[in-house]
Amino acid sequence: MIFNYITSVLLIVLGLYTVCAKRNLIKIVLGLGITDYGINMLIVSIGYNYGGTAPIYAQDLFNVGNSTAFVDPVPQALTLTSIVISACVDAMALALVIMVNKRYKSIDANEIRRLKG
Amino acid sequence: MNYTHFPVISVMGLFLGAFLVEVFGSKNKYIRNTIVLLITTCAAGLMLYLVKPVFIDGQIISYWMGNWEPVEGYAIGIGYEIDALGMFFVILTVLTIWLAAVYSIKYMEKDSHLGHYYTLFLMLSGSVLGLVCTGDIFNMFVMIEIMTFAAVALTAFRNKKGAHLEAAFKYLVVGCVGSGFTLAGIVLLYMQCHTLNMAQLASILHGNLTPVSVLALALMFTGFGVKSFIVPFHAPAADAYMSAPTSISMVFSGIVNKAGVYGMIRLLFVVFRVMDISSVQIMVVLFGVVTMFIGVTMALAQHDFKRLLAFHSISQIGYVITAVGICSMKGVVSGLFHAANHTLFKGLLFLCAGAVLYSTGTADLDKLGGLSKKMPKTTICFLIGAFSISGLPPFNGFASKWMIYQSLYDKAVTTGNFFYIFALVCAVVVSVMTLASFIKVTQAVFFGQTPAALKETHEVPFLMRLPMWIMSLLCVGCGIFYRFTGNNLLLPAMKSTFNITSYIDKMMGEGTAAASGIENITIHAETGFEYWEPVIWLVLFVTVLLAVFIVTLIGRRDRGKVLSTKEEADGKYATFFSGEKSSHSHVAGSDLFWGFKRNWKGYFNVMQKFHSGNVNDYSLMAVCCCALVIVFTYIVLL
Repeated sequence: MIFNYITSVLLIVLGLYTVCAKRNLIKIVLGLGITDYGINMLIVSIGYNYGGTAPIYAQDLFNVGNSTAFVDPVPQALTLTSIVISACVDAMALALVIMVNKRYKSIDANEIRRLKG
Repeated sequence: MNYTHFPVISVMGLFLGAFLVEVFGSKNKYIRNTIVLLITTCAAGLMLYLVKPVFIDGQIISYWMGNWEPVEGYAIGIGYEIDALGMFFVILTVLTIWLAAVYSIKYMEKDSHLGHYYTLFLMLSGSVLGLVCTGDIFNMFVMIEIMTFAAVALTAFRNKKGAHLEAAFKYLVVGCVGSGFTLAGIVLLYMQCHTLNMAQLASILHGNLTPVSVLALALMFTGFGVKSFIVPFHAPAADAYMSAPTSISMVFSGIVNKAGVYGMIRLLFVVFRVMDISSVQIMVVLFGVVTMFIGVTMALAQHDFKRLLAFHSISQIGYVITAVGICSMKGVVSGLFHAANHTLFKGLLFLCAGAVLYSTGTADLDKLGGLSKKMPKTTICFLIGAFSISGLPPFNGFASKWMIYQSLYDKAVTTGNFFYIFALVCAVVVSVMTLASFIKVTQAVFFGQTPAALKETHEVPFLMRLPMWIMSLLCVGCGIFYRFTGNNLLLPAMKSTFNITSYIDKMMGEGTAAASGIENITIHAETGFEYWEPVIWLVLFVTVLLAVFIVTLIGRRDRGKVLSTKEEADGKYATFFSGEKSSHSHVAGSDLFWGFKRNWKGYFNVMQKFHSGNVNDYSLMAVCCCALVIVFTYIVLL
């Protein structure tokens, strides 16, 4: 289980590093995506019980044994919401990058800085 | 009447309106305007109906989605809960939404694709309203994300210019880094408490802060900081306010950054209850002081009308954060008061900037001038807004700023901490600089000579003036009838910030708060409304104004005349040269404070690097600030 947390923190840090250090706008968008994946992994890991079953109330239908070892269903619902939201982020950010590229003829963050000071 | 359904109907109504506009209103402007006005008026009406139960009867409105009530003390559904604090922000939200909708009708007339504009506008409104109504912390996150998307899309709405797209991209990147922090904080809290309901979180977290929940606090504080654009995160805000259509700039400064402030108050005062620790107070006040100082000094260096107002908006949010961070009763009252006043006067100023942009087609201070003859009504509204934001009595800005000074002074006396004296001095200096900056704007836009290009300028239509007049009236009214506002709105809101037992009990059942050891504190009846006598100040103000008026009348006759192109090129009629040709320097109206800027060259050079315009730098600042906040909270709280 501890590996899940380590991996998710590594993904978040990697994503934030990409956002902060890479000059290419596409890479910045990818960095945002990686950060979101890291957070999603964190959420799923929090809800997981080792050896737990699917969170379906099925004790009477199937004999699945110990029904207390459910996996927590709430984080899975949160992850779905979060995945939808991060898909929206990526779509919108990429659309903006395309438009920026049309106007500036560049996707280098160093050249896209008319608004400053 | 069963009014517990009203909040959810309002929020859903605004989102439903967004779809209806997209489906039915993209072709026909009459259908579109009818839908928008109807929906926003209904939302405002339904929410304002709750003023009486919440503020006067002292009730708390709670609503469980799908009637999923708590089982065995655990909240399992999404709950809406509106106490006086939430209701206070609800009033600001519905007011701003309605005025912005009315203003948009004429202001956006000449743009294309207005169906999309109103869809995004209604989504933005609905998300902010949902954010202040909700009692569920994950629902809050979802609303924040909808808010960010709608705001980013609206920033890029007029995408003919590259700069607007650039601003939207920066806003999106920094905003998403902030939302990521918030989400990480929320799931860490869920890991500790296994609930997402804020009332239940408050009762569980009271008195047992674990390292994980402290980390969650730091992450969520940073996340809401990004949404309220306090200083290390403010750079994209200036770009976005400048690039968005003006009706949206007003919504941004009126409610979008207030949503961040609301989140912070909810988090620090209600969910975690860490504000009674003096180091946390110092941290919040420090954020506020830095925000107001950097905001106002950057505003002095601007040449674009809307960008200047944007930096002032950031600076005024600094006042709100400072006052809230003091955490005395008077401090919180003054902070909430200033938040409301900021919504009013900054909205008014943005609307005036929009009117100027609508009539002249430019927001560049160097190209504007002498509009007071062409647009007298806009000028009056602008002056009211400028007086309010600069803190001149008897306008509302003075009332709240005066209370903030008082509470800072009281705090310095009671704690004996020198830092609060420093904060007080900063607050006063910032107020002076705000006044100076608005003298510059007024001179550059409304007085002085009219450039030849602006000869054919006309006053804006009535539908645009109506929101401006309403805002102006409220600015004056809040300043003069401060006692009425204070007793009826601010005191209940402040009480619900400090006393959260009824907030918890209403949601989770009677006795929950007492079981986890949360008690009410006594609120003193006096909270410092007796600070000044408005009538005397009004007389003084009118006298001074008369004096200035008479001196102006007996002055030169040719003031305000339109220059011919030849005279303009000559340069001797430029502002402050009064017909004598200057031989060495050229000072435009917008450069009134060039001496000041020259003296502070070192500071401004540093600030220039700070606002580099590079999106990597902005996100790096956000991440570094988050790291510092995490370290600080760990040192202080564990």
